[in-house]
Amino acid sequence: MNKSLRFIAVLLKMKLSHMMVFRISFFGGFFVDSSLFLLQLLMFNAIYSQVDSIGEWSKGQMLIFVGTFSLLNAINMTVYFFGVNGIPSKIKSGDFDHYLTKPINPLLRLTFENINLGSAPLVLFSIGIVIYGMSVQGGSASPAACLLYVIFILLMALLYYDMEVLIRTLPFFVISTDSIEQLECAMFDLCMKIPGVVFKGIFKLIFYFILPYGIMATIPAQIITESISPVGIIYAAIVVILFTVLALRFWKFGLRHYKSASS
Amino acid sequence: MNDKLIIETTDLTKTYRHYEKDTGLMGSVKSLFIRRYSSKTALSNFDFAVQKGEFIGLIGPNGAGKTTLVKMLTGIISPTSGTISVLGYYPNKLENAFKKQYAVVMGQKSQLFFELTASDTFMLFKELYGIPDETHKKNLDYFVDLFDVSQFLNVQVRTLSLGERMKMELIVALLHNPKVLFLDEPTIGLDAVAQKQVRHFLKEVNERSGTTIILTSHYMEDIKSLCKRCVVVNNGEKLYDGETDALFEKYQSHKKVTVTFAHETLLALPAECTLIEQSAYKASFLIPKGLTREILRELMKQNELDDITIEEEEIGRIVERIYHNTRTVVQ
Repeated sequence: MNKSLRFIAVLLKMKLSHMMVFRISFFGGFFVDSSLFLLQLLMFNAIYSQVDSIGEWSKGQMLIFVGTFSLLNAINMTVYFFGVNGIPSKIKSGDFDHYLTKPINPLLRLTFENINLGSAPLVLFSIGIVIYGMSVQGGSASPAACLLYVIFILLMALLYYDMEVLIRTLPFFVISTDSIEQLECAMFDLCMKIPGVVFKGIFKLIFYFILPYGIMATIPAQIITESISPVGIIYAAIVVILFTVLALRFWKFGLRHYKSASS
Repeated sequence: MNDKLIIETTDLTKTYRHYEKDTGLMGSVKSLFIRRYSSKTALSNFDFAVQKGEFIGLIGPNGAGKTTLVKMLTGIISPTSGTISVLGYYPNKLENAFKKQYAVVMGQKSQLFFELTASDTFMLFKELYGIPDETHKKNLDYFVDLFDVSQFLNVQVRTLSLGERMKMELIVALLHNPKVLFLDEPTIGLDAVAQKQVRHFLKEVNERSGTTIILTSHYMEDIKSLCKRCVVVNNGEKLYDGETDALFEKYQSHKKVTVTFAHETLLALPAECTLIEQSAYKASFLIPKGLTREILRELMKQNELDDITIEEEEIGRIVERIYHNTRTVVQ
């Protein structure tokens, strides 16, 4: 564990050095992410200037939901997105060979190899939106709800990671996963705009059970507004555990099927 | 098991399955419904044993199975069948304890960070392998001195020449004192001077540290000057496994000669020679080893030669000769 943490610290140092070589991309990522974030806020403002609630969720709850999703997205973009996203190209090109020959878990190295601190300020902005949403909501959260919220943000970030790893493990078996990645992007976009409680029937089944993008921001938002039952919390925790086990097993299965590429 | 034996494979086989499709749009449409696969055996029933401290050359043409063998020995890919043991481990189990004991350098795949300096990569590898400070410093100083690359340590890797980069690749691979070093075409694309430096470096590492080295190369000079023993592979099969000198003595029967002419010339070669290619100002041909001096003297008399280059025969031709002459494995 200590060795892994030390290794991640060295990767972070190297990434920082790398980012400082390219000054424009160091600040560029932040401007792109901030713009997307602001666009989304503008969209919600436009919607709530016309309606009072979406699926029984008030403006305050929706702001908490949007802030929570942005927070998850910011954690994703800062910590692991760029590392995990590079997995398919490394598998296809054979560059993955070197990851297998080093005495460190290849997934751990890939996950933390491209930490992007340019997106880190978005974490703070997102927290700001959640706090603002709480004030619009007109209530205050108990310390227990706040603590549980933080725990579930971390768990949902893990779930988000699991979903990304599952999709990016597919190139061990198939040639192209571009369409699946596009589908992932579309589903994520949808679930970023609509809280999970709005989904009914088959959509609820899809976004709560099969591809649980629908619970990622909804559950923490429900926790901090204290509008979720203990069963809902337990259900969300079980989903995270199941998907984590599934992602790690699928990854290991993929490793055994790695064919490398001709040199 | 002999305790000096560190690599052993028996009946090692690797088969790849390829998807095949007819050309054109119709072929693509057809392949949507009817999939056709073919199998290619990259390595077949390969028996191989390596003693501690050996420097072995793996030679063979492109697609012979050399890289596949190295990839199985390092655990990158799993064998289809057969047994394999490296340092007492099954490589594809990918155990960290095993990975700490070997290193691999692939001539065409870098493990350096291009935008950073070589020193940055050395720092990462120090952490990766848990190399103690003292050992790291001692090894780094020794290798940097041996290659004389101290002036390039803090330069962005992308600005280094191919030769300088390969030296850094070798240094980073050896920092943790691996027991076995796998080298896949380490001199590919390097100029003659850099090739010589790399050879000198590898020889020193093998002799001083007793590191076992498995080298694949297309360059005869690499194999001849470094490897006492070599293994010839073709179409996934072992054609020869024995002393390098004996191999070249027996099968390298010709020299490759390239001549350029001062004027447009149509070269008339004696019957003993084999023409490889010819144009108005240049010709390449093979001369039987014992007749080189005599034939060249005659050609110089008859033609106005501008330049002469004499090279060792290409590996491909030797492999071809072994394959056609023996069709059996020589032990």
